[in-house]
Amino acid sequence: MNETIIKLENVKKYFPVRGGVFSRVIGHVKAVDDVSFSIKKGETLGLVGESGCGKSTLGRTILKLLDPTGGNVYYKDHSIFETGKEQLRSLRRDLQMIFQDPYSSLNPRLNVGEIIGESIEFHGLASGREKQEKVEYMLEVCGLSPHHHRRYPHEFSGGQRQRIGIARALSLNPEFVVADEPISSLDVSIQAQIVNLMEELQEEFSLTYLFISHDLSMVRHISDHVAVMYLGKVVEICGKKELYYNPLHPYTQALLSAVPIMDPDSKSNRIILSGDVPSPANPPRGCNFNPRCRYAEERCRVEEPELREINTGHNVSCHLVEKR
Amino acid sequence: MSNLLQVKNLNTSFHTEDGVVRAVNGVSFTLNHGEALGIVGESGCGKSVACLSIMRLINHPGKVEADGILLEGNDLLQFGEKNMRSVRGNEMAFIFQEPMTSLNPVFTVGFQLQEVIRLHQGLNKHESWKKSVEMLKMVGIPHPENIAKEYPHCLSGGMKQRAMIAMALSCEPKVLFADEPTTALDVTIQAQILQLMHDLRERINTAIIFISHDLGVISEMVDRVIVMYCGRVIEESETRNIIKDPKHPYTIGLINSKPQINEDIEKLVPISGSVPNPLHMPSGCPYHPRCDHAMEICAEEMPEKTEVSSDHYVNCWLYSRKGGQIINNE
Repeated sequence: MNETIIKLENVKKYFPVRGGVFSRVIGHVKAVDDVSFSIKKGETLGLVGESGCGKSTLGRTILKLLDPTGGNVYYKDHSIFETGKEQLRSLRRDLQMIFQDPYSSLNPRLNVGEIIGESIEFHGLASGREKQEKVEYMLEVCGLSPHHHRRYPHEFSGGQRQRIGIARALSLNPEFVVADEPISSLDVSIQAQIVNLMEELQEEFSLTYLFISHDLSMVRHISDHVAVMYLGKVVEICGKKELYYNPLHPYTQALLSAVPIMDPDSKSNRIILSGDVPSPANPPRGCNFNPRCRYAEERCRVEEPELREINTGHNVSCHLVEKR
Repeated sequence: MSNLLQVKNLNTSFHTEDGVVRAVNGVSFTLNHGEALGIVGESGCGKSVACLSIMRLINHPGKVEADGILLEGNDLLQFGEKNMRSVRGNEMAFIFQEPMTSLNPVFTVGFQLQEVIRLHQGLNKHESWKKSVEMLKMVGIPHPENIAKEYPHCLSGGMKQRAMIAMALSCEPKVLFADEPTTALDVTIQAQILQLMHDLRERINTAIIFISHDLGVISEMVDRVIVMYCGRVIEESETRNIIKDPKHPYTIGLINSKPQINEDIEKLVPISGSVPNPLHMPSGCPYHPRCDHAMEICAEEMPEKTEVSSDHYVNCWLYSRKGGQIINNE
């Protein structure tokens, strides 16, 4: 069970910034900068960070939905970035995505049967009667009624649409699923339904998830490992328990302490970060986090820290971990 | 503490082509001087509409009816539009959810603040500008003299929300409505804004009505909570009672379905089903199709407000004499 299924090596995604008379490239937004990690089969890696930190871009880049700038991603033994268009298509059967917004990610002109059946037919898994049965089976697995396949997306609520999105992603029996904020546009009472569904399906189909979210408490619930991103870089990655009980990066500490706790008795010893997230087009020198860090020293303003292993399986990019 | 705002049997309905949507249904509450009241509920439960109705900001096809909306004894429903205008901004102010869309993009931040101050306090151009800069400084905006000359697009989300708070507080209103003021913001920025609102509340004695779907935020910010579902108040009590000892099955479900950052849970307990279509509300208690404890009477009759313990009110048949049995929730 413990084989590595997805491996990222120094993945980079830069967006060019154009300007001047001839729209020349005058700079880059480093949306994802040098990210490396791996995910084992059957596990869930939670990817957290604030808006604009590059977590969604990373999710899309891994599946080559965005053209990468550098680095490499391996699915089992295949390099996703180096695979040609044709082969990538067949590779994508194993690599699927659940999108954030269930309202815009389903084609309003297709009925549910067509939405789910399209990819099944495209990949040559089934057609005709067989396809129909597969669609109905997927709908049932995802908690919808099999006869819903004739309906159109607008007839469903947000939670139901997200179930359709999940059914579509899983209809190809993928191995690895990138879930990009699958619950953030849903109501609180529905979020738990979708998370439970994702967990049940993971067990049933032995799926591997990359769960992208800004909701730290949901990530704690669903993940085995958690990676924290800040301004395009992973600043801390380790097992779930380790991260929530013993966060080492000052950003992770502030992020965790900022989540409001539903307990009138809890005394908040909250770390309030000053200022905003800097623009990724013009990141600060040295450590990305230094302008907001309460421990920052001279070294942090000059030298960029590298992600290094502090305890077994606990990687942090901070110069001062040992000192503090 | 005396009654500052008293809302009696507020009903807001929207007459659409498809039928009548009763967004707010018989909502009553009182707000004391300096108190912070939280309204919790999911999207579409009528929490925002209730507050907009109190400010009389509902337009056609919406219709607001009530037995009274009393601000310090004066019924706002009897006020003409002109009088209402002097109430808005001066006596009652509103912080909207989306700081990105609630500032006017073609005027500078300072100008928009100045407008409020000039209109309500009759200060001249120079004085009102000085006051605007002062207000921006109070909400913790760095270099307020420069920021006042900037347009909204130059400010980040958190800064815009600070500017909105400055604007709302510039005339020292008696009641401040904060409609999900931190929902559109990141957690670290949310922490900043909540801290700011905490500090400001201690400095100026404004009563706050805080609308949110996040019980975590609510438990940190307010003294008293109203839980709404489908346009109705279903539970009301002090914050501690609601969080520690919720009674209504919906409140219990809402609390259980969200994992907390400081605890490990094996499996989440979601609320089954989804919020009903507002055009086709179920009969009886609107929650009964999703409720695990639903009884026959729940589908037939609307439950009445019952006091389960001192100052803890629930609208649920489980706790009413007529419903008979009383359950203990674990």
